[in-house]
Amino acid sequence: MAKAKRGNATSSSKMADNSDKQAEKFSLMLDSSDDEAPEEVTFEDSKTQALRSMKQALDTARREKELLKEKRRKRQELFQEQKKRKLLPADVLEEIDPTSSKKPRQSEDEAEEEQQKGDGEKELRKKKKKTRGKLAHSRILKGNYTVATLEERSMASFQQQAAEDFIQSRLYGPGSCRTTSNELLSLQNKKGWNKSAAVQFVKKDWACKEKAKAEKLKKRWIHKQHISSC
Amino acid sequence: MGEFKVHRVRFFDYMPSAIRAMAFNRQSERLAVARADGAVEIFNFSDNYFQEKVIPGQDSRAVEALCWVDQRLFSGGLNGEITEYDLENLKPRYTVAAYGGPIWTISSNNQGTMLALGCEDGTVKMFEVLAEKVQFQRNFDRQKGRIISLSWHPSGTLIAAGMMDMIRVFDAETGHATHRLLVERGVGASKSREVVVWSVAFLSDHTIISGDSAGKVQIWDGVTGTLLRTHLVTKWDVLALSVSQDQSSLVAGTSEGTVIQFQLISSTVGQQDKEWVRTRTFKNHSHDVRALAHTETAVVSGGMDTQLVVRPLLDKVEKNTQESSLRKIVFPHRSLVCCAKKAGLLLFQFPEHLELWRLGESEGHGKPGDSLTVKTKPEKLIQLKRKGEDHICCSALSPCGGWMAYSTVSSVRLYRLQYNNNNIGITKVSRLPKDLCSVHQLCFSSDSSKLFASSSHSSVIVVALNQQECTYLHTLKPKSSSRQPVHLLFASEDGKWLATANTDCEIHIYNLDKLKLHCTVPVYSSYPTAIAIHPLTSNLVVVHADQQIFEYSLEKKEYTEWSRKLQKLGLHSLWLERDTPVTHITFNSRNPAHIILHDMFMFCIIDQSLPLPEAKTLLYNQMTLRSVPEPERIRHSHAFKICKNFQHLLCVRLLEDHSLVVVERPLLDIMSQLPAPVRQKKFAT
Repeated sequence: MAKAKRGNATSSSKMADNSDKQAEKFSLMLDSSDDEAPEEVTFEDSKTQALRSMKQALDTARREKELLKEKRRKRQELFQEQKKRKLLPADVLEEIDPTSSKKPRQSEDEAEEEQQKGDGEKELRKKKKKTRGKLAHSRILKGNYTVATLEERSMASFQQQAAEDFIQSRLYGPGSCRTTSNELLSLQNKKGWNKSAAVQFVKKDWACKEKAKAEKLKKRWIHKQHISSC
Repeated sequence: MGEFKVHRVRFFDYMPSAIRAMAFNRQSERLAVARADGAVEIFNFSDNYFQEKVIPGQDSRAVEALCWVDQRLFSGGLNGEITEYDLENLKPRYTVAAYGGPIWTISSNNQGTMLALGCEDGTVKMFEVLAEKVQFQRNFDRQKGRIISLSWHPSGTLIAAGMMDMIRVFDAETGHATHRLLVERGVGASKSREVVVWSVAFLSDHTIISGDSAGKVQIWDGVTGTLLRTHLVTKWDVLALSVSQDQSSLVAGTSEGTVIQFQLISSTVGQQDKEWVRTRTFKNHSHDVRALAHTETAVVSGGMDTQLVVRPLLDKVEKNTQESSLRKIVFPHRSLVCCAKKAGLLLFQFPEHLELWRLGESEGHGKPGDSLTVKTKPEKLIQLKRKGEDHICCSALSPCGGWMAYSTVSSVRLYRLQYNNNNIGITKVSRLPKDLCSVHQLCFSSDSSKLFASSSHSSVIVVALNQQECTYLHTLKPKSSSRQPVHLLFASEDGKWLATANTDCEIHIYNLDKLKLHCTVPVYSSYPTAIAIHPLTSNLVVVHADQQIFEYSLEKKEYTEWSRKLQKLGLHSLWLERDTPVTHITFNSRNPAHIILHDMFMFCIIDQSLPLPEAKTLLYNQMTLRSVPEPERIRHSHAFKICKNFQHLLCVRLLEDHSLVVVERPLLDIMSQLPAPVRQKKFAT
């Protein structure tokens, strides 16, 4: 706790105060070797030494402060994690039973937040609020899991899906030797009496994805050519 | 012909669904077609292949097989249910679960008393066809592996079932398997894959014909269970088979998109013993042929490329007649586009959603043929997803653009649209009258104060609309006892008349001031495909599926002079030979003598003030007229002005500001979005 206090005290506004303390420390160190003859130290040297030590002290103070921040954050996260773990079943229950009112739980949450406001830092609180907001929508759990209720599907619809998959795999699955519509159209174009440009050029909105990709590759290629020629 | 500023609309991404199954009813000459989205369409082959009925699909209903029993239509789907359709109200009548997993095939015996189903779990299930329902009777011996295809022996005592790697023959009385015919797998890499018998046919001489995934059409002796002949027709799958009524001809559809005909003929002249010989190959599809029907005179095929192709067999029909020409049905024979004339809005109907677009505006004027620069781009205002499982069957947009309505088989939804500056507000009208639940067509009156909805037994429900609420006004009923649905509705511009046409070919005219039936137009034998009432003269113009045009005066209750003249002279042969129906009629407010109508390939302005074309005159004479000097033009010009500049039309409308809206959907666009075709090597490409 004492450390923390000191850490807190070292704010930029109390710089002068701090330097006093450092000076005191320095003088104490000098005092400890009083039985030996005092070495001759130039004023310049002593000044630099004093400054260095002061800087060091400041650095350590800052580091300590940061460490403390980190620790607090971790603690906070741990709390949240625990709370989430506790909350999850309630969430799922609520999803399943939409009649249960949402209001009381939300107000509860808010109350909890109010309580935590006291000891949390402002930055952290902001972050927490953000995560809570996200939580309400997509329910992100630890890791890459999300919770969502499935539409209840009957046996019949599963069977229907399986039957449709069967047809799909027999007609379009591996070994079915299928081509693309584009290929077919180009074949028709080649065999037809009046030949015209390929469909992807005639129809501007066709195969947008492929066109975008081609455009990108073309740009990259031009860029590469440019670099090599330079 | 007149000059128009044309909005050339190409942002309607209409995508028809693939054809999955079909069944032909020989008595009534109706073809039922099931699409991949679950919709079922009925085509009338005795009346120019007109698409007379459409039963919208449902999310979960994946129809895999169709079957007629007399005049009743049944389907089996991968959701494991049998559905019977109510063809009068255009919706499923009931569904029965078969409890055998997905149903792959459904087939009725010749007597029309039994339905046999092939299920995923390896059972053949027998259902008895009763007057009001189907009832489960029994299971046949359960087999290992799914039953993909079924065919009854015409006597009704035996059933052949196509499975994985084999064909089984069942005794329909005992339910036991009597034969097992092993089907050879494909060669090479596909040796390790099971072969699927996609289709079987059982002939009355106990010959079994099978088509399988190894690309073979095999002919078996059903008595001994031996293989007689193998025809390797493709490297891919043979997906469908169909046999003619007299069992002398057989067609097989393949993944390549070809349809191959086999005929039972003697291979050498003068010999008695006949055998199945491969005779003809038709290539009318770019993608897999999934469904086939062999009618008396033609082969009907459909598949992944969404087109229905009717290919007449030239030995059965007279050459060089209309009957002998190839028919391709690509677009539905009804309008999927609604246009708000006053507001310049377009409503596009998809099975899953509706799209509301505002038309763009152009800058300045140009010479005829120029394309103007677009000042403001067309803008998609609303994309409205439908609610529930059922697909949208009809939709309407009021002429002012303030109301929008759509209907599924189970419900109607009405929306109020509000535009302020760039914002658009949409509010659902919550309380609709109870009668408004199952409707087939919707239509707003021209002043947007009334909504007309066609309901069961050709009746029309009239609903009044105002800012606060919508209230039920009246139900208009025809005098005839027709039970057929109304497929066309038209409210006249002056708000006085409402015309309806039903699938019994009846056209009724109601007087909206008195809310009473005014008259019934004399029934013509062909379906009306488009009706409209002239805003000034109150003449009703009707175009039928056989391309005949009639004009009927509502005041005098008789055909007009022009109509009589047209009938006496007869329409031009080229006009009658067109193979797509006219789907919409509009009138030109600046020139009352003009009637604008369109089909898939052209739009036409009929000028009633000009002489009608003689049989020998050129019908498509716009280009030649242009080359003729001015004074001579009048001598050559005739009433039919046809424009083919815009291709594959879904809609042509005339806006209030006298500009023309043309909604195109080039077939190339549809084709480029189809699933993968097979890879074929073509010489020299």
